[in-house]
This record gives sequence, C-alpha cells and structure tokens, in this order.
Amino acid sequence: MKFDDLTQIVGENLLAHRMRAILTILGITIGIAAVISVVAIGQGGRVAILSQIEQMGSSRYFEITVDQSRGEAATADTFRVEDATLIKELSPAVEKMAPISYVPLADIRLPQTRQKPVSAQALGTTPDYQAAGNLVVASGRFLSAGDVSAHSRVVVLDAELSKQLFADADPVGKQVFIQDNSATVIGLLKKQASVSMGLRNAYLPVTFAQEIANSRVIYQLSGVAVSKEALPQAIADSVKILEKRHTANGVHYKGQSLEDQMTAVSKVTSAITTVIGAVAAIALVVGGVGVMNIMLVAVTERTREIGLLKALGARRRDIMQQFLGEAIALCLVGGFFGVLFGAGGAWIVSFFAHWPPLISGWTILLAFGFSAAVGLFFGIYPASRAAALSPAEALRHL
Amino acid sequence: MISISELSKTYGAGDAAVTALDSVSLEIDTGEFVSIMGPSGSGKSTFLSLLGCLERPSGGRYLVDGRDTATLSDDELADLRMQKFGFVFQAYNLMPRYGIMRNVELPLIYVGVGRRERAARAEALLRRVGLGHRLRHKPTELSGGEQQRVAIARALVNDPAVILADEPTGNLDSKAGHEVMGIFQELHRGGKTIILVTHEPNIARYAGRILHFLDGHLIREEAGTT
Repeated sequence: MKFDDLTQIVGENLLAHRMRAILTILGITIGIAAVISVVAIGQGGRVAILSQIEQMGSSRYFEITVDQSRGEAATADTFRVEDATLIKELSPAVEKMAPISYVPLADIRLPQTRQKPVSAQALGTTPDYQAAGNLVVASGRFLSAGDVSAHSRVVVLDAELSKQLFADADPVGKQVFIQDNSATVIGLLKKQASVSMGLRNAYLPVTFAQEIANSRVIYQLSGVAVSKEALPQAIADSVKILEKRHTANGVHYKGQSLEDQMTAVSKVTSAITTVIGAVAAIALVVGGVGVMNIMLVAVTERTREIGLLKALGARRRDIMQQFLGEAIALCLVGGFFGVLFGAGGAWIVSFFAHWPPLISGWTILLAFGFSAAVGLFFGIYPASRAAALSPAEALRHL
Repeated sequence: MISISELSKTYGAGDAAVTALDSVSLEIDTGEFVSIMGPSGSGKSTFLSLLGCLERPSGGRYLVDGRDTATLSDDELADLRMQKFGFVFQAYNLMPRYGIMRNVELPLIYVGVGRRERAARAEALLRRVGLGHRLRHKPTELSGGEQQRVAIARALVNDPAVILADEPTGNLDSKAGHEVMGIFQELHRGGKTIILVTHEPNIARYAGRILHFLDGHLIREEAGTT
C-alpha cells in the first residue's frame, strides 16, 4: 500500500466516527498537556530559583554553619566576631569573612510617625559581607570596620526596604528606629537583579545588632574564597580553625559553597518535577488506554470489513498498518493540541510568576515522540488482533 | 487448474466438532462454469471459501496451478487471492462510506497501483457492467442489482482467472438476478472460470457443470445448459 493511500484511508476511517475520534484525541491532549506544562513549569521554576541563588552572592561565596541536619543550633559560644578575622588571617584560601547575626522580624519605622512599622530582616555583620553578598551601594556607603568596633548606630538599607520607608527619596543621613533603637542611615543598596523573594534587609554593624537583639549569638560566617578552586580549601580551613577554637561546645561545623547550595536545590526541584511529571503521565496512560479501547471497538465493528479486505487480497501488514495508523494518528493529533495547551499553560504560569518560559524544541519533540509511542503501544494489540483474523470467519461476523 | 483431493473441513473440537466438508475430490479446468447446489448446511459455502483460500482445510490437498496451498503462508495466500480470485458475495459487501469508483479500486490500493491507473480501470469495468452513468454514486444510492454489478466490477479489477460467487442472486429479484447471471455468462465467454454457489435450480442451470452437495459430501454431478 502506498503511503498517501494509507493516510487517506486512516483519515476516512477516523472521520467516519468524528465524535469518537475527538473524545479519544481529547484524552491524549489532556495527558500530553499535563506532562508538558508540568515539566516546563518545573524547569522554569528551577531556573528561576537557581538564578536567584546565584545572585545572592559571589560564585566564590561559602558559609559556615552548624550542622542543622543533626538538630544543632548556634549558641553564643559557637561563633565569635573575632573568628572571622582570625580565619581570614590564618587561611590563605579565604579572602573575606563576615559573621552574621539576625533579628529575623525587626520592626523598622521612621521617628515621630504613626506609620505602621515595616518588618524586615536585620542582619548584623562586618564590611566583608558586602563582597560575600554581592551588594552594590547606590548611595552613601556600606558598613566600615570603624562602625563595627565603635558599635555605631548606623544602618544600610536595601532598595526594597528604603522604598517602603522613604518612597523614592534618598534615605542617607535620615533617622530610623530599629526595634525602637534609633539609627542613622548611611547607605542605600542597589536593587538586586534577581527576582525579589520579597525579603527586605537592613545591614547593621554586628556589634550594634547584638545589642538590639540582646544576644551574642552569631548564626553563621559568610566568606569569599580567593578563587573558585580554593573553595574546598577555604571551607576545610575554616572548619578546622573553628573546631580548634571551640573544642568545648561539641557542635559540628559545616561548610557549604553557593554551588553546593545550587546543586542541592537543583536536586530537590528536579525531584519534584519528576514526581509531579510522573503523576501527570498517569493522565497520558489513561488517554492511551482510551485509544486502545476505541481501537478494539473499531476492530470489532469492522470485523466484516477486515474480512472483505483480506478476501480482496490485503495482507496482514496492510490491515496492521491501517489500524496502527489510526491509533498513531489519534495520538499525534492529541499530541499536537497537548503541546499547544501545555505550552500555553506553562507560558501563562511563567508570565505571572516572572519565570523564563521553558518550552524547548526538545520538549515538544519528546512529547510528539511520546504520543506516537503511546499510539504504537496501545494500538499494537488491537491492530494485531485485526490482522490475525481469518478472512472467512471475519466475513461471517455480523 | 484447480485440483482437490479428499478435502475436509471441521469446525470446533472434541464433542462440539462439526464436519462441514467431508473428503471432497474434484478437478476444475480453466474456463469452466461450475454451479454448486445444495440445501443450507450442505457445505457448499464452506467449499467455496476453501476454494478461495479464505480459510485453510482441516484435511486433504488443494492445488492451484499445481501449487499446494498448504505450503503457502497467510501473506502468500493473500497474494494468491489477489492474483487469482475475484469474490462476489450474496450481500454485495461494498463499503458504504466509499463511492462506487473507490469500491472498485479498493483491491488495487493494496497492490500499490497509482491513482490514475486505478480510476481508469475502475471506470472501464463499471461501464462494462452497465453503470457508466452512476460513477459518482454511493452504494446505498443504487438498487440491489446495481450494487451486485459494482461488486462484480470490483471482483474483476485485478483481472483474476477465477470468479467465486456465493449466492450472488440471493438478495435480488428474478429480473435483476438474470441480469447479473447475464454478466457472468459473458465473463465465461471471455475465458474466465466461474464457480457459483446457489440453491436456485434455474440459476444453477447457467453453468456447464452442476455439483450437488449434501451433508458435506459431493453427492452428484450433472451437466448444465452451457
């Protein structure tokens, strides 16, 4: 049989039962759309999260924390402000090192207003954190070593926080109250290029932050290695020095580079995408069963016709091709609309979530390949049943 | 051309086994016109479908042009049907979705004949059976006699040596029936071998040789009018 004759026959047979074909195609469309959109949204989300992490700091960034997976938490004895300076001096792999203390939900407000305070994360640190966190000053200056040693009541605001407090005015030189402690704004940071996670940060000298929090706890050290290659060395040195200086408290220090974090996040997001994708694939399997069902109905209905075609000289392969062709055609049309709807859905989600829409040619090709495979897989049984019919028996069928 | 010895066909197995055809031996030469008669259940239709290789016998030998059909694969049998036999059925078995041109062309599609040649051959045959004025019609728009003539045109489209007809006049009134038989007669004169199953004696008489079947046996043979 010639290919154009085959496609004509397949088309005629499908059009003979339009409603049935449309419903079967709908099943495949839903399945493919579900898989495509989930995978695309997952990939887009992953890229978005990774780019955010990437912009959180230098590529040479690393941090030392206690091992939270063991249930450990930092105490006043875990890190000291001097540790950072010491590590920087002792390890040739470490270029910058800053301690970090937090007041996670600090109330920040302007003096003498009834304005509701803005809640932000107050980070107590040292000048080295500017390099670690990739912070760019837009106006004024960042914290200085003098600020830290003098316990200066100064603060550097990020763009988002400044906007909340001062709208578009330059905040440098103005007064704010942080947890009812007055402070002078000395600097404004540039808005970070990454998509905002909705966090607002105020950077204080670590000594001032400890006073506000009334706690000496430092949660982590954030550092920058001299080079990417030196990262493992920087982390190992830092951990070794900390362990030597704090033998009594028995916590485990753990170092992580930005790359480690990205790998971890990447693993988690891919796992989530795979799981949801697998759930979506169930829809596709259901659609495939629908195809098989409809093809079995067609074989039963057209048994007499198959007998006739065989009597007229059609070979097994001809009959097989015809039924397989119908199953695959249903799936390819379903796949086409599935790609359309799936890509559309993914695009809408990425548009509102400000993610890069990630529908690659590969995804589409894969979806088409997959739907053809579904047609082949679920069509092969009905088709071979049709092809194996004895012509005499098929002709006797009513 | 057709050589049959002790051909048998049994359906089912064990206690439920039914012997439809029991040890039939026969020779049919090229160009013969043979009628097969018998009451229903006599095995005449089974015999015809064995002749047309629509099913395989349970026992005995069936040679077509000296080739033993038992040695042929399913696909080789399909090719043999395509080249050698044209089928005409009692219920016409036309595809209602297709126009009559496409119905006649259908066997050619499966041998890969091109569109133009298919159309030319189908049109010529439809004109030959007197349907030149109905080329654009669908089978359901035609009378029974006309539909059977379409079926005959389809049986001829591969230029087979043998036409196998299973009660071709069974669904027709007597006038249409005799018209159809007229076509068979003409084909026979043109050199085709015609093998026809019927239970109507006045239809059977068109043949040169009448075979009588009863309970799966070939019981009697008589000469017809041709």
